[in-house]
Amino acid sequence: MTHTILLGPQRPIINLGAAIVEAALPDGPLAVISAGWQEAEGDIDDIKSIVERPLVDLRLYQRAEEVFAAAPDLLSAYRARQDRLQALQRLYRLRLRRLLSAARQMLRARQEPSLVESEQRHAIAQLRALDRHHIGRVDSVHSEFDSAFDIVTHELLARHVTEIRGLLEPVETVVITGGNVAVLINRLRLFGVGELLAGKNLVAWSAGAMALTERIVLFHDNPPQGRRNPEVFGPGLGLVKRHAFFPNARTRLNSSDRVRMQLLGRRFAPAACVTLDSGAVLRFTDGRIAAADGARQITERGKLRKVRRQ
Amino acid sequence: MNAALRKLFRKGSPAKEEIDAFVESAEFPLVDGDEVTFVYRGAADAVYLRCWISGFDTAQPFQLLNGTELWVSTIELPPGSRIEYKLEIEAGGQRHLIVDPLNDVVAHDPFGANSVCQGAGYERPRWTMHDPEARSGAIDSFNVESSAFHEARNTSVYLPARFRRNRRYPLLVVHDGQDYVKYAELKVVLDNLIHYLEIPQMIVALTQSPDRLKEYAGDDRHAAFIANDLLPQLANRFPLLDDVAARGIMGASFGGVAALHAAWRYPQMFRRLLLQSGSFAFSDLGRHRRTPVFDPVATFMNAFREDPGELSGKIYMSCGMYESLIYENRSLVPRLQSQGIDVRFEEVRDAHNWENWRDRLRNGLSWLFPGPLWMVYE
Repeated sequence: MTHTILLGPQRPIINLGAAIVEAALPDGPLAVISAGWQEAEGDIDDIKSIVERPLVDLRLYQRAEEVFAAAPDLLSAYRARQDRLQALQRLYRLRLRRLLSAARQMLRARQEPSLVESEQRHAIAQLRALDRHHIGRVDSVHSEFDSAFDIVTHELLARHVTEIRGLLEPVETVVITGGNVAVLINRLRLFGVGELLAGKNLVAWSAGAMALTERIVLFHDNPPQGRRNPEVFGPGLGLVKRHAFFPNARTRLNSSDRVRMQLLGRRFAPAACVTLDSGAVLRFTDGRIAAADGARQITERGKLRKVRRQ
Repeated sequence: MNAALRKLFRKGSPAKEEIDAFVESAEFPLVDGDEVTFVYRGAADAVYLRCWISGFDTAQPFQLLNGTELWVSTIELPPGSRIEYKLEIEAGGQRHLIVDPLNDVVAHDPFGANSVCQGAGYERPRWTMHDPEARSGAIDSFNVESSAFHEARNTSVYLPARFRRNRRYPLLVVHDGQDYVKYAELKVVLDNLIHYLEIPQMIVALTQSPDRLKEYAGDDRHAAFIANDLLPQLANRFPLLDDVAARGIMGASFGGVAALHAAWRYPQMFRRLLLQSGSFAFSDLGRHRRTPVFDPVATFMNAFREDPGELSGKIYMSCGMYESLIYENRSLVPRLQSQGIDVRFEEVRDAHNWENWRDRLRNGLSWLFPGPLWMVYE
């Protein structure tokens, strides 16, 4: 039986320790991935005092820095890949803006339902097609890089992967912190960590939870320079299926804008859009939701409702 | 007359006890929509409202209400406004300025304190107040050996919380930096905006001039100090990003002039400018209309308007509508835009003071230096 426990931000409410106890995760050391914290990676004393267990720090951010320093060809290809990904993201945003604007207008249209509903469905289908197209493009850029710098044949990467595998072998549970989701997923991919996590219990919060999904959705409705459109960033590890997570939604999501919420719910269906505010916990056991507290699902009608056990 | 005062006087002149109760319970000045009524209680020959803002009489007289020692003066103030003021009391042939004894809200600046009138709807932004959740950065100081001024200049430096030597940071140079910390809560704002991920962790140099009206007025020595003394010594001492787009310079009033002048003289050094209520005096013909202290400013601004040189990047400008400088600031915007500079200009219902500049910091800083908010999910 494996558990995947997803949490909201660990400030102001810290529920990491309680969630581990409640799920009765096996004793023993925990591996920690805190690459999302970038330079602060490894500042895990707080986690240690909460879980009261030995921790194994996988140091993915630092490992990547070491690889970049030792392999200029890899660094240069990595930077070129990032440039391409950023360019792709900008192109995607251009198209997304138009489609989202049209879809919002369709959802606000007050004409006869038999006329407008079909247009709404089509507008949303176009959005979904664009998201799918984008994720495919992002994936192919990643694949290009991955085949040029294979974690099995590239000596330096292979050495780190072997070390990481060795560190993970005796560990039954892996904790993935929040932080910068782009940095986190890039480091996880670089060392092929997704495959190494199979069969482990996972405890992840915020960006960590987002990275476990099939696709990562970036969002913020209230940034200081005006709200932006939720956008697909790229594929996640795919270890949690049919879900998209929205951490710190009380601050980041304008839940009173029904059309905006409705679009989220419908655009990413059948994936469930689930908010993870501080204090929230969502536990999957063998892939099914076994416990949920504080996590809320955005319905296709744009409402928030409690996540139900399956 | 204000509704609360009307009620007080509804049966004629109120008794002392009624006035006591009124003064105890009301919030002064009395704000009623876009009308603000200032009240002074006491013996005087005359009372004036002094708020040094463009558009009002320099000394607005109060009226004595019948049979009392209550003096009142009503002005029109659009919602969202914030102005600073003093009361001028004339008694026994003497005049003296005081903060409003009935108003607890005061603002400080290097010259002392002023009372603050907050118009309907004005609220101090929360991000300007200490947030216990936000980690606190540190302010250190060191001496910058200046070949431009032939002396050492003490400079304070803000280092963000969780500062690390192995990381590289954007740099912001702030004119009157210590005043910004003292009167515009700059450190609190930096701590908060970094904590909210609205700006990146950054290093902020807080410069202070011993003779700002001279050195900030388009003085080449000051520009050389910034470019040739301060920046290299900061780069030696702190891990800075080696990217001109990650370097900013800012200032208010004459500090805004100094920032623009330094960036104009050394365009390869700065691509991010934050200019607040810049004292950008200029003349299209003949002499400018300000005091002689503006002479070098006008010389610089006229030259700048003629040829902005290679200045480029992003410039955030703000100015209060109740400042006489609004004209100069508005005039500068199209000139900068015609240079291809990305300009964001914000006009607000405020005047030439530190709290105006404080309240604009979020918009300016987060536009010039966007933080990692979009990517970070803590």
